[in-house]
Amino acid sequence: MNRKKYLPWMILLLITALALAACGSTAPAEPVDDSASDTSDAAPVAEEAEAPAESTEYEDRKVATFIWTQEFDTLSPLYTGMWFVTITFDLWNAPAWAFNDDDLPEPRLVTEMPSLENGGISDDGRTITLNLRDDIKWSDGTPITANDFAFTFEMIMDPANIVQSTYPYDNIASVTAVDDQTVVMTFDEPFAPWMTLWRYVLPEHVLRPVFDAEGTLDAAAWNLAPTVGAGPFVFSEWESGSYARFVRNENYYGERPAIDEIFIRFVPDDASQTAALVTGDGDLGTFIPYSDIPTLEDAGVKVMSVPSGYNEGWYFYFGENGHPALQDLNVRKAIALAFDRAALSEDLLLGLTQPAATMWDNMPYNDPTLEPWPYDPEEAKRLLDEAGWVDSNDDGTRDKDGVELILSHGTTIREIRQDAQAVAQQQLAEVGIGLDIQSYDADIFFGGMSDGGPVASGELDISEWSDGPSVYPDPDHYYWYCSEIPTDDYPDGGNWQRLCDETLDSLFTLQTTQTDFAERQATFHEITRYMFDNVIWLGLWQDPDLWAVSNRLQNVEISGASPFYNVAEWDIQN
Amino acid sequence: MSRYIVRRLLQTIPLLFIISLIIFILMQNMGDPIATMGGRRATRPEDRERLTRQLGLDRPIYTQYLYWLIGNDWAKFDADGDGVPESPGTRQGVLRGDFGTSMINRGKPVWEVIWERVPNTLLLMVAAEIVIILFSVLIGVYSALHQYSLADNVITAVTFIGYSMPIFFIALLSIYIFSINFKRWGLPYLPAVGMFDPQVGKTPGQVAKHMILPVFSIAFISLAAYSRYIRSTMLEVMNEDYIRTARAKGLKGRSVIIVHALKNASLPIVTVVGLDFAFLLSGAVVTERIFAWPGMGRLFLDHVSRSDVPVVMGILMLLAVTVIVFQIITDVFYAWLDPRIRYD
Repeated sequence: MNRKKYLPWMILLLITALALAACGSTAPAEPVDDSASDTSDAAPVAEEAEAPAESTEYEDRKVATFIWTQEFDTLSPLYTGMWFVTITFDLWNAPAWAFNDDDLPEPRLVTEMPSLENGGISDDGRTITLNLRDDIKWSDGTPITANDFAFTFEMIMDPANIVQSTYPYDNIASVTAVDDQTVVMTFDEPFAPWMTLWRYVLPEHVLRPVFDAEGTLDAAAWNLAPTVGAGPFVFSEWESGSYARFVRNENYYGERPAIDEIFIRFVPDDASQTAALVTGDGDLGTFIPYSDIPTLEDAGVKVMSVPSGYNEGWYFYFGENGHPALQDLNVRKAIALAFDRAALSEDLLLGLTQPAATMWDNMPYNDPTLEPWPYDPEEAKRLLDEAGWVDSNDDGTRDKDGVELILSHGTTIREIRQDAQAVAQQQLAEVGIGLDIQSYDADIFFGGMSDGGPVASGELDISEWSDGPSVYPDPDHYYWYCSEIPTDDYPDGGNWQRLCDETLDSLFTLQTTQTDFAERQATFHEITRYMFDNVIWLGLWQDPDLWAVSNRLQNVEISGASPFYNVAEWDIQN
Repeated sequence: MSRYIVRRLLQTIPLLFIISLIIFILMQNMGDPIATMGGRRATRPEDRERLTRQLGLDRPIYTQYLYWLIGNDWAKFDADGDGVPESPGTRQGVLRGDFGTSMINRGKPVWEVIWERVPNTLLLMVAAEIVIILFSVLIGVYSALHQYSLADNVITAVTFIGYSMPIFFIALLSIYIFSINFKRWGLPYLPAVGMFDPQVGKTPGQVAKHMILPVFSIAFISLAAYSRYIRSTMLEVMNEDYIRTARAKGLKGRSVIIVHALKNASLPIVTVVGLDFAFLLSGAVVTERIFAWPGMGRLFLDHVSRSDVPVVMGILMLLAVTVIVFQIITDVFYAWLDPRIRYD
């Protein structure tokens, strides 16, 4: 066969491949409400649909394109903790309540928020009753009842399901469906963070048959294709590595969404995300690099900064085998004073955020009188001198009893963190503190003690990452307890900083039982003041979520806890 | 020849076993799959302990490898943490065709995870390979026939600029020029990411349009090597006696070049292309990431970054088999093209 004959075949092959690649998706599909498909053995990630013969009608549809830099791992709330997935629950699932842009709860499935006043919370705080609306239904028309809540609890706690997390449901003693509209939860102890519950509910009529047949939900088709939901939109399809589509839920019990379809495109590269937003290939993006904000704003893309409880900070290692300098409060204060975090926010973060005082910045639980440590290198030097750390051997670094004041510092490979590391190294050197900086991939950095994770194993004197409360906007934190210090018998302990402080321990224990907001707030003011004064954690910058919103999208309000709480009101200009 | 093929195929069995063992051991040191399961926050201690036990990650490495190889449906596990193994295993092992399920896309079979990406990767990479071969032949032959001319020098310079550039730079530069700036200048612009515009739908035209920039990026950096290779082999062949004889017989120039020169010059290229085909399946990690192309390269990167051992093992074993098979095919094809080669 000569080359002349090859060429047409190759072209034909390419055209065929193009046609095949275009098959199987993705014309507008109506919401799929055939629950039978969810109970089948197959896992239909993408629904088959005809390619559009004429695209005119399709082009009239209101399609909002979101750019996600991480692809879903699964869509089942049971099996994921991925932020890019959990924030979609407000699109397609059924939270009992959502949080508005002031982070205040708004009833969704319940008629009102339970409280002491309306009897929803018992006087001893151990029983909470949820009264459900009588008009709520799944996207296939089946009513949402109290049985769905009891089923959800059962599935989370059943060891046959390898769920991502049992928190906060492991604090509940029982969930009972008294009748179709009444859910009663009981607790062994009052559980202050109860509003972190019920961010989602599972459809019992879809998943119970799967569980009964297979003994687990681990391989349920619904996990990857939750075609039955209860949000303003309903899942339509998910093509691996490419996109996921959510179309308007015609059975939605709330306000009819103005947008026909939410198209989530997975674009892993930051620069490509920015390019897509600039060219109009995307209408909404998040986790955008600070350095790209001017480019986006020049292109008419609005950037919204939304606090979501996260603050970037330094965790000091207090373990017995740690650096002796960090046991000294004066040294920790000196570190705080020697690092110009205001300039860092201004220069590296373009002034779009500011230094964090505590881990609860931008929350009502933070002591409002606290201000971040100022930049005062002279005072830092004085404190170090006072603590006995002086440069006795003239090598440029302070020392004491033969120990050099050189601290190991580690963080992840995120660019902004590595930049901050370099700045910190330079500034601390000016007061005689050496910083030995290292960076790791996230799966190594956050690895457990038994996997040799550098933070969990206590290899670093200072570790840097961004963290927030267990479930924002609740302020609870789990890893400051003495009992959480990792040991050979308990290698999974979360208190990687090895701090055992009885005052802090008792305050954290107290707040979890305070169901009265004012009492709990007062306890947290005490916690934040104590941690600040003792420089137990040093805030670098408040780490809000950055959202890029195209000028086509309208009525967009974003909350830190439930970003899409008002997505039904969003509209888009074609 | 058939004995040679059978011998080569038998040799692949211990080879694949050794490869799988090495990769599995290396994977254990890559990171902690539980570490990133908590999302933006570290996984809670209670969940870490439970997940480690339920996913079988608390077992010694050799046991985990054994389960991967021959399955665990003959063993029991302690799912509820009471210290008593009561739940039977469900995996059948690679030797029985079960590569397990993904730890990230929980419950999804590894082969399903992989096969969903193969068509996209092949589409992109085969298109790029065709462009590379076509243009490199044209450039290589032209350069050989016009050696040291201005055009030859310009082509050489341009292709080497492409060769010396990292692909991420070419990719981002092409987005900046053909997407962002073309739109800014009011010109028809190319899409930056994805496979189609959701407003239009996934039509062949849309897919082709979205392929232009990634194919261009892959091809641009590969053209230099191929075209220079063809240029040098063509120059070598053009000085052979049989070319002079063909010309002396009065054959037309085009006939001499295509029938006599290019056919013989392309023999060594078969080896290079054959090996390239084996790697087509691995996708283009950087290109797929930048252009958000849902291929194997991205799949590999996504699952490596979360230490998803079953999926990464599946991808690497698939690639190992592909490389071995294509090496055998290349050897056989080469012998078929060149009768002087004998394997038996």
